[in-house]
Amino acid sequence: MSQFRFVFVIFCFTAVLVLAVYLRSANNRIFYELCACNAEMSRLKQELGTKQLLLESMINPAALSQRVGESNTER
Amino acid sequence: MVSFLALGGRCFYLQYYRSRHYSEASLIQQRSYRNLLPQRGVILDCRGRVLAASNKVQTIFAEPRVIKDAKETSSALAPIVDVGAHIICQQILESNNPGFVRIKMDANPGQCSAASRIYGIGVQSDWQRHYPMGRLAANVVGFTSHDNRGLEGIELKYDKDLSGSPARNIFFADVYRRPIRAKQQDGILTNGKGIILTIDATIQQFARDELIKQYEDYQAESAVAIVAEPKTGAILAMVSLPDFDPADIRSTDPNNFRSRAITDWYEPGSIIKPVVAAVALEAGVVNKTEKIFCENGNYYGRGFGRIGEYRRGFGDLTLREILINSSNIGMAKIGQRLGKERLHDGLKLFGFGGKTGIELPGEIEGLLRPANAWTGYSVTRIPYGQEICVTSMQLIRAFCILANGGRLVRPFLIRAVVDNEGNITELKRPPPPVGYIIKNETAKWIVNDAMTGVINEVGGTGKRAQLENWQVFGKSGTANIARSDARGYSDEDYVASFVAGAPVKDPAIVVLVSIRKPNRSLGKGYSGGVVAAPVAAKIIERTLTYLDVPPD
Repeated sequence: MSQFRFVFVIFCFTAVLVLAVYLRSANNRIFYELCACNAEMSRLKQELGTKQLLLESMINPAALSQRVGESNTER
Repeated sequence: MVSFLALGGRCFYLQYYRSRHYSEASLIQQRSYRNLLPQRGVILDCRGRVLAASNKVQTIFAEPRVIKDAKETSSALAPIVDVGAHIICQQILESNNPGFVRIKMDANPGQCSAASRIYGIGVQSDWQRHYPMGRLAANVVGFTSHDNRGLEGIELKYDKDLSGSPARNIFFADVYRRPIRAKQQDGILTNGKGIILTIDATIQQFARDELIKQYEDYQAESAVAIVAEPKTGAILAMVSLPDFDPADIRSTDPNNFRSRAITDWYEPGSIIKPVVAAVALEAGVVNKTEKIFCENGNYYGRGFGRIGEYRRGFGDLTLREILINSSNIGMAKIGQRLGKERLHDGLKLFGFGGKTGIELPGEIEGLLRPANAWTGYSVTRIPYGQEICVTSMQLIRAFCILANGGRLVRPFLIRAVVDNEGNITELKRPPPPVGYIIKNETAKWIVNDAMTGVINEVGGTGKRAQLENWQVFGKSGTANIARSDARGYSDEDYVASFVAGAPVKDPAIVVLVSIRKPNRSLGKGYSGGVVAAPVAAKIIERTLTYLDVPPD
């Protein structure tokens, strides 16, 4: 009976250690994923900003007027 | 014993007296800093279109002091950034800064990732300012320096709001100054606030489009156009020529940076006559039906010299006819009736000789000398726009007051300040102006009767500003420019200006066009009615159509 208890305690102790290692690695993995997502979000935001500015520079009244002028000249 | 005492004394000295010095020195040695720069706020037009915005760009740089073989590093970097290896090598070897050589700005993520694997090459994030509309509103918006400080226009005036507040991360660093772990953050990173202007990019484009044609056709020195909303004083468009491209500051003449509507003064000429007429009517020195003898074009007297007319002489004219025919002698006589004090005070009430308070840097006050410094020449010259210097902004303000029924208005450019989430934090529209500076009926008569006559009557100087769909009011001005090298005025150089508004019954906009030194030798004309009036008319027509103002 005492041998069984000893094995049980060892088993529980090992299980706790394994769980701790798992939680730690999960924590690291999720932190890494969070950092990667943050970096990706920042990249996408930057890309969006660039595209928005590009769009603004193409559809603003000055650019449109210039393009209309050019197309009239071509005709 | 003595040695122990000396050692103890030295320890006490170091621990007690010098402890602060050494602890600070050790912190400097241990710490490393990384600056976090805030995003500069956006500048938008009244419909939310972007006039200026910041975006993050990645810069690939080299650190020459750690690069052992510049040739090898350049060869490895060249295919990544698509720049010749010899160019990179030359940049690294000839750099004056051993810590930083910019190799490529605005690099894409792939390039950054590949470049950062090469020893001695790094990637840095910077904020770069963009002006998507280029020259369109450059004189209003201004521009920033490389380190994102405002240097002109709204960028300069609202630099504090737009800049936000930076912060820095403090790290413990190893012997090579590489961060080991973060310690703390110094300050709170706050991005800059956004600014919404009253400028409408479409109206700005109309104004610039029309003004630039005339500016080039007449080979003028400079030109200004302002479109304002008379009821509120909001500036819808403000164009200054010559202008500049905010993306190419280095090759621009610094003279082109300024907004001439507020920084340049000139003698306004006849364009000021409706304002003086309103002051005279208000003072009761003249009435609407009375006829004033205009001396058939030659008025001479002791103390004020000789006054002539612009084209031909006139006999008896009513006040309305004086304005329609733009008679200098008629206005000089009105000035004499008003006298120094009343004329000076009247012009002061309309805002001449003082700043309008528009939110741009560099505004000047113009020149209206104190009444006690006036001579007999002053009371006869100022009523037709000589001996007084004004800015275009002061003129448009005065005519906004007339179009607004005599109620005071203050021109403004900033509609609101918004935070990073787009919430309005501050409404910048000035409080509704208090009080009428002239009677409503006087202002209405000047606008609806006299200034409409300038456009519609035979002999009126503003016939070229007539529009098919709307009744326009206006006044021209052709002012001689004083010679810089001698006394008197130049016969070649003029400022041609025209102020107009529409619709007469309920003015939605007032437009001022002022063109400096149109080339007279071209033989196409140089007066305000010829050079500036057509521009004002086209701007009004396009703007009222755009604003969907119903035709009269």
